[in-house]
Amino acid sequence: MKSRRHVLSTMSAALIASMCVVGAANAEVGVTDKEIKIGALGVLTGPNAKYGNTVYDGIETVYEEANKSGGIHGRQLVYVREDDRCQAAEAVGAAKKLIHQHKVFMIHGGACSNASLAAKPEIVATKVPWVITASTAPSLTDPVTPHIFTTMLAGWMESYAQVQYAVEKGMKRVAIISQHDNWGRSRYDPLMDAFKLHGIEPVANEEIVPDPADATAIALRIQAAKADAVILVAFPKAAVVAVRDMYKIGYKPFMIGGSTVGDVGLFTKNIGIPGSTDNLHAVSTIGYTADDPAVAKWKKLVEAKYSGDTFNIYHMFGIASGQFVVEALRRAGKDLTRDAFNKAASNLSVNTDVYGGPITCTPTNHQCHNTAAWFGLVNGTTKRLATTTVTR
Amino acid sequence: MQALLARRNIVAVGIIVFAILPTFANAYIVFVANLALMYILLSVGLNMLLGYAGQLAFPNAALFGVGAYTSGLLRLEFDLPYWITLPAGAAFATLIGLAIALPALRLRGLYLALATIAFAQAALWVFGHWNSVTYGGAGFRVPPMDFSPLPLDPSTGIYYLSLIIVLVAVPLGWNIVRSRIGRAWVALRESEVAAETLGIDLTLYKAYAYVISGLYAGTAGALFSALLGIVTPESFDLFQVIVHFCMVIVGGIGSLWGGVLGAVILVGLLEVLRTFRDLQEIAFGGLLLFTVLVVPGGAIAMIKRYLPGWNEPLRRIGKKR
Amino acid sequence: MLAYLLMSGIATGALYAMVAIGLVLVYRSTGHINFSHGELFMFGGFIAYTFFVILGVPYFLSLILAVIGGFVLGVLSDRAVYRPLIKAPPLTMVLATVGFSFFLKGIARYFWGSMEGGDYVAFPAAMDPSPIPIGSINVFPQQLLILAGAIVFVVGFTIFFRMTRAGKMMQATSENPTAAYLSGIRVERVYTLTWGAGSAIAAAAAVLMAPMTLLSPDVGFQLLLKAFAATVLGGLGSMPGAIVGGLLVGILESLGGGYIHSGVQDVSAFIVIIIVLVLRPAGLFGVRNIRDT
Repeated sequence: MKSRRHVLSTMSAALIASMCVVGAANAEVGVTDKEIKIGALGVLTGPNAKYGNTVYDGIETVYEEANKSGGIHGRQLVYVREDDRCQAAEAVGAAKKLIHQHKVFMIHGGACSNASLAAKPEIVATKVPWVITASTAPSLTDPVTPHIFTTMLAGWMESYAQVQYAVEKGMKRVAIISQHDNWGRSRYDPLMDAFKLHGIEPVANEEIVPDPADATAIALRIQAAKADAVILVAFPKAAVVAVRDMYKIGYKPFMIGGSTVGDVGLFTKNIGIPGSTDNLHAVSTIGYTADDPAVAKWKKLVEAKYSGDTFNIYHMFGIASGQFVVEALRRAGKDLTRDAFNKAASNLSVNTDVYGGPITCTPTNHQCHNTAAWFGLVNGTTKRLATTTVTR
Repeated sequence: MQALLARRNIVAVGIIVFAILPTFANAYIVFVANLALMYILLSVGLNMLLGYAGQLAFPNAALFGVGAYTSGLLRLEFDLPYWITLPAGAAFATLIGLAIALPALRLRGLYLALATIAFAQAALWVFGHWNSVTYGGAGFRVPPMDFSPLPLDPSTGIYYLSLIIVLVAVPLGWNIVRSRIGRAWVALRESEVAAETLGIDLTLYKAYAYVISGLYAGTAGALFSALLGIVTPESFDLFQVIVHFCMVIVGGIGSLWGGVLGAVILVGLLEVLRTFRDLQEIAFGGLLLFTVLVVPGGAIAMIKRYLPGWNEPLRRIGKKR
Repeated sequence: MLAYLLMSGIATGALYAMVAIGLVLVYRSTGHINFSHGELFMFGGFIAYTFFVILGVPYFLSLILAVIGGFVLGVLSDRAVYRPLIKAPPLTMVLATVGFSFFLKGIARYFWGSMEGGDYVAFPAAMDPSPIPIGSINVFPQQLLILAGAIVFVVGFTIFFRMTRAGKMMQATSENPTAAYLSGIRVERVYTLTWGAGSAIAAAAAVLMAPMTLLSPDVGFQLLLKAFAATVLGGLGSMPGAIVGGLLVGILESLGGGYIHSGVQDVSAFIVIIIVLVLRPAGLFGVRNIRDT
């Protein structure tokens, strides 16, 4: 019929035309003249959302700042988030959706390590550039894959730093309180390696559940072992209870915490007992506390963009990583391809506003963040005590 | 028109769609379809225990996990090929299903529910703490499946393997529920006392229910470990249990084809929920409530009302009040 | 060491007992287990947080307001979830309450989830939190408050059930709903009251517990599992059983964690459930229901 043929020919003309347009504009997947599409893979909901969603809020704030000043070589940054609910199965699905359906240029994200590990094969097979923001599993970037980078301290770094600190402070009897879930193990195993490296053994090795109501049993056992230092590998929910109960039984060891309690002042407020953390130092991925004037600019931007949120260390992960990626995109040049990005990122050192040291990637080392900072309470306020570069 | 939408035809169309999917859909869609196939297995198995036999039991996520861990570990530690690890995983899960059946036989109703929830949590604890065997909380990577001499890459290979297994397992299940075993299940679901007076050996048939649903769950688990390439304890937590139950209820409890439908619907739903971002939990809970309040018979009940050819014998679950 | 472990066990156990009482209350009346009970607990805690921390209302007043709020929430869940499903088989109720629990959890996470930069909020202590020495051990004032609160509530409940008309109506309805109907008791009203009361006592438990631990939308689930263990141990239909069960679970956890291995603390509740159900399903004080077919 005449009308049907007419419709058919119009449609095919349109199809061919659109293919030409698409063909011309999409020199690289996810890149057009106007925008760069970047995907975020990570946990957006549930108890671990701060490692994902909050970090991505920080990243998006950095992207927005870049967009406001004209974007990267005239292209606006568009950020698409997909939830992996901290589960391996979901992560594979989310990665595939970002890569094959959203067709992103690169992936900027990665929260729970097991989820990221599950997504890795797909990302490796499709050669999509990936800058990891919060996953700490070392096997993600070791051995080096040309297009995978991380701006987060490796899990082993905090553990090694903790043991080293204990040794440097002259502690002879060191105990451990650690979570044994997926997150905890990524720090616990290197912790045991670090002990071996220094030729010492923990005098007590206690497990704490992520959601305890009471830790008196743990505190008593460690006290009975006469430990003079306790290394804490726990999230605040557990760490609060542990410190609280050690205080209750009148036991005051030197406590060495990790990033999760890096804001010692906030941690003390959470415990609700002033003075309970006088003897606690914590190592952190971030170089400043959330209310340090040095990061005031970002605090203002984040709290304006996400009203109702309080600026915290998880936003800062995102800000550091965001600054790194923005700079790498800039260096990759106007003719933006995935190869160009990889090359730029593999030879880049960026001094971010929130980390204690620069983010530095080299062709042979994609573990780009290596500087930890120590925090403790000085006269009731959290102060940075030292920075250290961790090696093994 | 109604005859066109008869079950036979819809199922045939479904099979064809699944069979040719990898040729035209992107890798993401194929992955989701593969998950759907796996969940169909789980759902059919669970429906036998829950819907037909009427046992309010929650062990399936744990058995799913046992299947995944067993087949994954065999592949990792001993480098065995898939045609050994898959059946081994399924078999081991079936054994564990039998082991649970023995104490579970004495319990019913809420006691059974609580006992099996406790078992599910205990199993999760074992997965996460038995470091020497299961690698504890960290989980482990499973080397990709090798499908040589067939020219298949791992993901396509797993997809078609899943499809073949489903094409065998679902008709098998259909035969089981229409056989003496299925009728015995319905009898003991409606009234254990009456069933016993009819000479039905309660112990035997309840054990069948646990064992068969364990077989299905274990097979699904083995496929899961191959599909993901990684096995971690959190994949088998209580949320999984809830998802399995949702599939059965949303599809239509006590109906095998309802189970199949429910699996497909729920997998699609979980992907659609992604768009809700922050509000996923609210959406999920709301949907569950909606189904239970508005369409308690599940999707199957709605379909049956309008289309013939979807009837199944012994479908309705007994009313307790 | 033993004294410390017992004290902690009893304090935690008292909390479990309070949550378990709410669960058993609803079960006895309606024959259903409310799988969203843990979330009702959690929501009560957040309601108190809103009053105490955000609005600056004094602690005890916040406690009372949270209890009232919990009651209202319980009534709502009765109307929205239970009433329409009154004739449904048990599995449907299970799923309905599970769905409701997700719903509540999602709402809590949405409103309070990002308040203090993490998904948890800190609940300040009601009074000076320095430990008080009692005998050879130190005790947190909040722990004493938990014990006192638990005793007050349990005694209050017992009085309510034995002495007041409403309490007697609830008892009658749980014994035999049909007979209760026939004697003019508004059975639906009683159910509503029961749901409200169960939720109210859970809210009270949350407010007592909150200063000791951080409050997050996910605390409900763990508490629910512990409450299950308590009710199973004590016997599913029994109120004194719930109390004794709760205390025992708390003590067993504490002793297990102290003397055996700290990893045991987590799983001991489930082991308890399994052992009890396999060996003696009726629990310690349970009522064997012969009417089940």
